[in-house]
Amino acid sequence: MNRAGFGGTPAEIQKLVESGLEKAVSQFVFFERIPDSTPAPDWARPDPDRLKKLAAIRQAPEPERRELQRQEQELQRQRLLELRGWWLQRMVRGPRPLQEKLTLFWHGHFATSFEKVRDAYYMWRQNELFRRLAGGNWLQLLTEAGKDPAMLIWLDQAQSRKQKPNENFAREVMELFALGEGHYTEMDVTEAARALTGWALDRENQKFVYRPRIHDAGEKTIFGKTGNFDGDDLIRMIVEQPQAAVFITGKLWNFFAGEPPSRELNTALAEEFRRGGNNLQSFLKTMFLSEAFYASSLIRSQVKSPVQWLVGSVRMLECDLPPTPVCVNLLRTLGQNLFAPPNVKGWDGGLAWINTNTLLARYNEAEVLVEADSAVLAAIAARTPAQARRAQRRLRGRPGGVNVEKILTTEERADKDTLLAALEKRLLQGKLKDKQRESLRDYLKSKGDLDESEIRGALRLIMSTPEFQLS
Amino acid sequence: MKKEITLQTRRAFLRTTVLGGALSWTVPAFLSNTFSLLQAAAADSATQVATGRDSTILVVIQMAGGNDGLNTVVPFDNDHYRRARPKIGISNSQVLKLNDQLGLHPALGGFKAMFDAGELSIIQGIGYPNPNRSHFRSTEIWQTASDSERFEKHGWIGRYFDNACDGADPTVGVNIGRQMPQAFASKSLKGVSLDNPRNYRFISSERPMAGEADMMEQSFRGLNEAEDVNAGGSIGAIGGPAIRPGGSPLEFLERTALDAQVSSEKIRALADRVENRAVYPSSQLGNSLKLVAKLIGGGLPTRIFYASQGGYDTHSGQLGAQDRLLRDLGDSVKAFADDLKAQGNMDRVMVMTFSEFGRRVAENANGGTDHGAAAPMFIVGNRIKAGLQGTYPSLAPEDLFQGDLRHTVDFRSVYAGVLEQWLRTKSEPILGRKFAAFEVL
Repeated sequence: MNRAGFGGTPAEIQKLVESGLEKAVSQFVFFERIPDSTPAPDWARPDPDRLKKLAAIRQAPEPERRELQRQEQELQRQRLLELRGWWLQRMVRGPRPLQEKLTLFWHGHFATSFEKVRDAYYMWRQNELFRRLAGGNWLQLLTEAGKDPAMLIWLDQAQSRKQKPNENFAREVMELFALGEGHYTEMDVTEAARALTGWALDRENQKFVYRPRIHDAGEKTIFGKTGNFDGDDLIRMIVEQPQAAVFITGKLWNFFAGEPPSRELNTALAEEFRRGGNNLQSFLKTMFLSEAFYASSLIRSQVKSPVQWLVGSVRMLECDLPPTPVCVNLLRTLGQNLFAPPNVKGWDGGLAWINTNTLLARYNEAEVLVEADSAVLAAIAARTPAQARRAQRRLRGRPGGVNVEKILTTEERADKDTLLAALEKRLLQGKLKDKQRESLRDYLKSKGDLDESEIRGALRLIMSTPEFQLS
Repeated sequence: MKKEITLQTRRAFLRTTVLGGALSWTVPAFLSNTFSLLQAAAADSATQVATGRDSTILVVIQMAGGNDGLNTVVPFDNDHYRRARPKIGISNSQVLKLNDQLGLHPALGGFKAMFDAGELSIIQGIGYPNPNRSHFRSTEIWQTASDSERFEKHGWIGRYFDNACDGADPTVGVNIGRQMPQAFASKSLKGVSLDNPRNYRFISSERPMAGEADMMEQSFRGLNEAEDVNAGGSIGAIGGPAIRPGGSPLEFLERTALDAQVSSEKIRALADRVENRAVYPSSQLGNSLKLVAKLIGGGLPTRIFYASQGGYDTHSGQLGAQDRLLRDLGDSVKAFADDLKAQGNMDRVMVMTFSEFGRRVAENANGGTDHGAAAPMFIVGNRIKAGLQGTYPSLAPEDLFQGDLRHTVDFRSVYAGVLEQWLRTKSEPILGRKFAAFEVL
């Protein structure tokens, strides 16, 4: 549940365990059987006037132009904020955890950033594409991802043409998306860029368009084969490379299991993937049912990504997500700003999530979730004292934080030992070291009572351990 | 030989004063007693280091994305250049002339001033054999100093820590930023990373009254003490390579938690206490260098600082983007140098820039340039061999490799020069083999 989704409460985990592995995996993997009627943000549709609006801004006389441009940027920023909150909410409350987790995987895999795309509608559209094809066919997903407007902008394909092909997408589709370094030549990149010419962005209708006039219809030689290839041919040829299945299954395994597969395991995974006709869903089912996935070395040894940390904690603590601006700031501080990966390679993940800075930040952000104290929220979210004051005003009186009576029974709260056992079970699904448990007991002892504030303190302290950062 | 003695002193100091002081609240009482005894013994040598005036310091600035070297150090009079860059070429009336053939990008006024003052070295034509045009792979090659075909796990700076900084404080390497660069990856897990000193600590939820203990803070320490500190009780276990290489994720986390505590108090105190004495651009790089200047001024025992600036991947609209970035770079580094001079620390600091590659000689159709190969590096300092160094690669079409400049100096020769002449350590164990050390001093 932690690895295929975003974790859950002890009761949810118990229910899943009772249903048996096979049934539990099917329930996760064949998510389309569960209805999900989350509405899209209301601005998430093409805007027929957008091109005209942008042209009008460009042509406006000077002081006005700047103001119009500022307004446009502000609008896009506002929508991006909404989009981030919308997605996080789906991860926390949505009925299909694996679909959202896969969407997160594809976002990291195709690593497109709003910083260059600068259009919230395009970012939403790409997010929906990942969700729709999350468990679909790899060839279809890779092709559609290449034709996706945000991607066309992100890797400059929208500007490539016959006379001067742009190599950016051509290179990354092989290096980062489908094959990996060393499985193509520089010549393949140059030729692939020619094949891809003609793939363009229809800015008026905000969708992909194929423009034969800018396509280089000449002969190309790619992977040793010669022909008048176009973009679709190229993607098919890439996916047909034996390395393609090795590459994508290795990445999926690493994402879900927490470490790269051995060479033998990766070969087996690739074979399984090819046998299933490059279908992601059936591959995932086999992977989640495989013995290797439950090897003891993989259990509780995966560093939570910041999103996993946030969404998982909210689910474990059965509390609300903090207001979106606080979530965005928190994720940025921890190193995973949604819709803004650091570069085309996406987030490195694994141990790279952790350094002295981000670890301390995790410890401190834990307080934000547990206490949801307005002053703390404001101080942590704000970059300047003025911002802190504004935020404090906005958040004053906001109820929140963990409801200890909701997540712990009266018996569990009866004494220190039952309390600590219940907290370990809920937060770690494992045990602290004796020495650590003693520290916590000392903390509780110094307080006397086991009231809300002490229990919240203990929650925050358990979240401020190395152990809590693993799932 | 005087250098050697200083380094010995430093290590002795690190084992005692700094770690002892910073750890007095993380270790049991019997241990801190040991520390104070050692500290008394080392008091004499410690004074020398505490003033922060001994060792040399290297500041590495990464220009991420692949900076276009041709428009940075511009061969403005070259016909091949003008033909290759009809739209985005920089003309001889715009460049800041270095001689009758080469000029700096017009936004690099900060660098030009330092060049004129003999504080800037421009090493031309830097690269490596079989250049790779992938950002990630080429960045990795620069960070690990590996051959193009070989994959290394640890970074060149990390191997410096492993080889030359045994027993040092984790703050021997400080990265300003959220993510640790691969260059810092090491066996001994040295180096810390931070972006904002204000939040670089465990912030307790308790507000104890004066004289009262903060129980949450105490419990936090108990929860984050690595096992070996309690069990072993040896000083070496704290600063040294206590955790076996390739340990579990949990061991890695425990070690990071300990390093965070050790470095947090020290760094925050310095950031609060030391004032900047120059005006920096209000950019990310400007802010990073501001903090580095404070930490140097306060005497943090750091040998290598690392800061970065991104955005050089100019496939389209290069003119505006590169102008903004280079202006920020030149002005930030100039302010940093002014600040260090005001502190009296400029003599022991060297700044070195790098970018994963230069860009294609011919511009593309979008007013930009695609990934290329060789490009210049900058070194700043007042004890360096200043001026134009090395040879500008030929731009003649027949001399290019797949449209890219061929390198004339291997970047690892520059690393070797910096390691041997500036950091005063043998470069061979760090770089894996012998590279002819480029004369940086």
